[in-house]
Amino acid sequence: MARRDYLLGKFGIALLTLLFVLLLDFILFRVLPGDPIRAVIGRNVRISAEVQESLRAQFGLDKPVFPDQFVDTLGQWAQGNLGVSWSQRKPVSEILISKLWNTLLLIGLGQLLSIVLGAILGLLAGWKRKTPFDVGALTFSLIAWATPTFWLGIILLVAGSTWFGLPTGGIVSPENVGKPLHTVIPDVARHLILPTLTFTILYLGEYMLIMRSSILEVLSEDYILTARAKGMSHFQVLTKHGLRNAMLPMVTIIALNLGFTVSGAIYIETVFSYDGLGNLVQTALVKQDYPLLQGAFLLLAVSVIIANMLADFLYTYLDPRVKAN
Amino acid sequence: MKIRYNFLVLVTLLALILSACGGGAQATQAPTDAPATGGEPAVLKIGWLGEPDTLNPAYAFLTEAYAVFDLVYSPLVTEDASGNYVGALAKEWSTSDDGLTWTFTLKDGVKWHNGEALTADQVAWAINAIMADPDGWAALSGYVGGFSEVTAPDDKTVQIVTEYPIANMEYRLSFLYAVYPPDFESFTTPEDLQNFTNDKPIGTGRFILNTFDKDTGVILLDANKDYVDGAPIIDQVIYQKFDSADAMIQALKVGDIDLLSDVPASAFETVKGFEGVTAVAFDGRSFDELIINDVSEDNDPAPTGNPALKDPAVRLALETAMNRQDIIDIVLQGQGTPGDTIVPPTLGGGFWHNPNIKTPEFSIEKANQILEDAGYVKGADGVREKDGVRLEFRLQFDVDSSNYPRIADLLADWYSQIGIKATPEGVNSDTLIAATTGVGDYDLVIWGWGADPDPDFILSIMVTDQFVIGGWSDAGYHNPEYDQLYLDQQAAVNKEERQEIIYKMQDMVYNDRPYIVLYYSNYLQAYRSDRFTNFIESPLGLDDDASLAQAKPVQ
Repeated sequence: MARRDYLLGKFGIALLTLLFVLLLDFILFRVLPGDPIRAVIGRNVRISAEVQESLRAQFGLDKPVFPDQFVDTLGQWAQGNLGVSWSQRKPVSEILISKLWNTLLLIGLGQLLSIVLGAILGLLAGWKRKTPFDVGALTFSLIAWATPTFWLGIILLVAGSTWFGLPTGGIVSPENVGKPLHTVIPDVARHLILPTLTFTILYLGEYMLIMRSSILEVLSEDYILTARAKGMSHFQVLTKHGLRNAMLPMVTIIALNLGFTVSGAIYIETVFSYDGLGNLVQTALVKQDYPLLQGAFLLLAVSVIIANMLADFLYTYLDPRVKAN
Repeated sequence: MKIRYNFLVLVTLLALILSACGGGAQATQAPTDAPATGGEPAVLKIGWLGEPDTLNPAYAFLTEAYAVFDLVYSPLVTEDASGNYVGALAKEWSTSDDGLTWTFTLKDGVKWHNGEALTADQVAWAINAIMADPDGWAALSGYVGGFSEVTAPDDKTVQIVTEYPIANMEYRLSFLYAVYPPDFESFTTPEDLQNFTNDKPIGTGRFILNTFDKDTGVILLDANKDYVDGAPIIDQVIYQKFDSADAMIQALKVGDIDLLSDVPASAFETVKGFEGVTAVAFDGRSFDELIINDVSEDNDPAPTGNPALKDPAVRLALETAMNRQDIIDIVLQGQGTPGDTIVPPTLGGGFWHNPNIKTPEFSIEKANQILEDAGYVKGADGVREKDGVRLEFRLQFDVDSSNYPRIADLLADWYSQIGIKATPEGVNSDTLIAATTGVGDYDLVIWGWGADPDPDFILSIMVTDQFVIGGWSDAGYHNPEYDQLYLDQQAAVNKEERQEIIYKMQDMVYNDRPYIVLYYSNYLQAYRSDRFTNFIESPLGLDDDASLAQAKPVQ
């Protein structure tokens, strides 16, 4: 019962957040200065003022923002229609889905590696506190966490392409575009190595630090002392009592990151010319492609909200205190 | 969905590990077509920072799209490396004495990429389609203005009749591509036409479009072995999109790409030093300028420009106190030439640029004297003023450029030495557009233009009518005499006569100084000379279709 109420409450908040995001999503890009038509066609092309007017009418920009454009947009969204991208002339949902898979692949791999490696490192460092291993892992994590994404990306790109012959950009070699899956997969894997490595290094530090401080806190608890007194081995104490309790902050940060990294991959995607969502958002912003921007931000917001709900849901299993309330 | 995703991650992870163990084995080169000469096909990979917005010429606005059109489609005539117009589809052409009728004879043996023979009817159809639906053909309708009738009297002849003489006919025709009529015949509304992506265009050009992958931006083009003027030597051209210039330069260094279509000036020296790479610089068509608010008060709903800018003496002082060569050396690393008029020296192979304009020599002392003589007196804080108007200006620039902030700093420094306070301020390009079109909400702006091959466009930015929202004038220059000359040059079919008018227009703009042209920037490209040679170096670029056609692999 308690769990159901708790989850219903969280669901309600998520729904409210979503509504607020929808509203913000609409307003945000329209308060930007400038003219989307000019942004789409650039400065060097000769398009007469009349043609620009006709484009403006086509995009619905000749109507006032409130209420006409707002009502139109809400109506479209209500029907599950995100509209058509101005700069690409394709349905927004189609564009988003094709990019989403690419981003999920990169982020999924990167998150998986950084979570697993970060948790192991953090656990060991906390366990072996104040040993050279701990100091080394801590130093590495702090540096990795503080490193600017763009900088690390370009360094790895130069090193990887010079010494290991790894590709300098893209998700697949141009020759392999449109080839059957079995030819493409090894090629895609080669293209993923550097961006995934960058991603892993950048996030690993954060996970390691959280895990380390969390396990340190847990290990100082009385029940750990009790467990030891009962004669459990170090390993048993660590896995049976330590790990599970130390996972709570990890779950929070993982859930938050899962949501945010969809957009956070923007720098990595730009350095490696990786064809994903972050990259798409950046181009759409430059071109002031409202429908595409709105769609992308909606997707990002929804993924943050879902990730948070997921964390709340997991809490009910991991944390007895949530269960009890 | 979940299962599929897990599976995908698993497979990729596995492949990742495998390929990492393999020590980065090179991905296999794709032999799409058997090479004519035997052995490996010669594939030229070009890196660029953009991609075409669409391959539908009716609705393509980006230069990347036109780069592809030039390879795939042919117009009647095209510009060559020295700025002259030569026949592409046309063998020869002539104009009637009244300048209203143009007759083109087509080359023999021109074939579409699907093997069909090209007829004059089809060429006429493509131009008529634009005239019939100017809204749909938004990107090209500007080029058919003044056309009254296009016909094909016989199989090899196309005739264009115009309402008035059109001086830059050849230039205009170079954008009117012969599109394959069956691809475009079925559209009934402008929207239908514009939503057509034309991902598999059939043309008559030197290269055949094999793939345009909208997701990755990759474009594969195969050599057209049946091209009327002879097949290209290389077998395939690939365009690869990069999002970061640094990554693209690295790609050239390690050989992932063979040609860089645009090297940033700041990286030029580095690229020059790469082993096996040749970096080339040629005079380009673009310039950067200092815009001086020239908007007359009755044309501006809420004037905010400093009125002192209307004083010719102030304008002359602004120009005298700038050291163009310093700007080029410091900001462009030497990759440019000092500017003077709005018509760059490369247009028409130098035919249109007025060589008689002399810019004042850089002198802080002289600039001070000019202001002194004009009655501007230094105040307590060192800023000059006259009749209560202080020489204090906003100096805005587009933040997207890495050059402008440095130019702004240099200018602000020189101007502070002549009692002018210029405050640099970086703003985004949309804000700049909003502040400079239809209104004059600025004092000084640093910005730039890329000129068309024909001077008509760059001259149009100073025409009074263009100072409207959606127009191209940002300085707000207003000169009825100039406006008349602009119309005159459009109708001057005689080249020398047109040149004389255009010289006069450049004189006017130069002397009135709505713009102070800072420099003409060089066009910088680089290629792997250990793999390919024999490109044509011209303002059209190494990747112009004629250049790619004669490029050959190093044996």
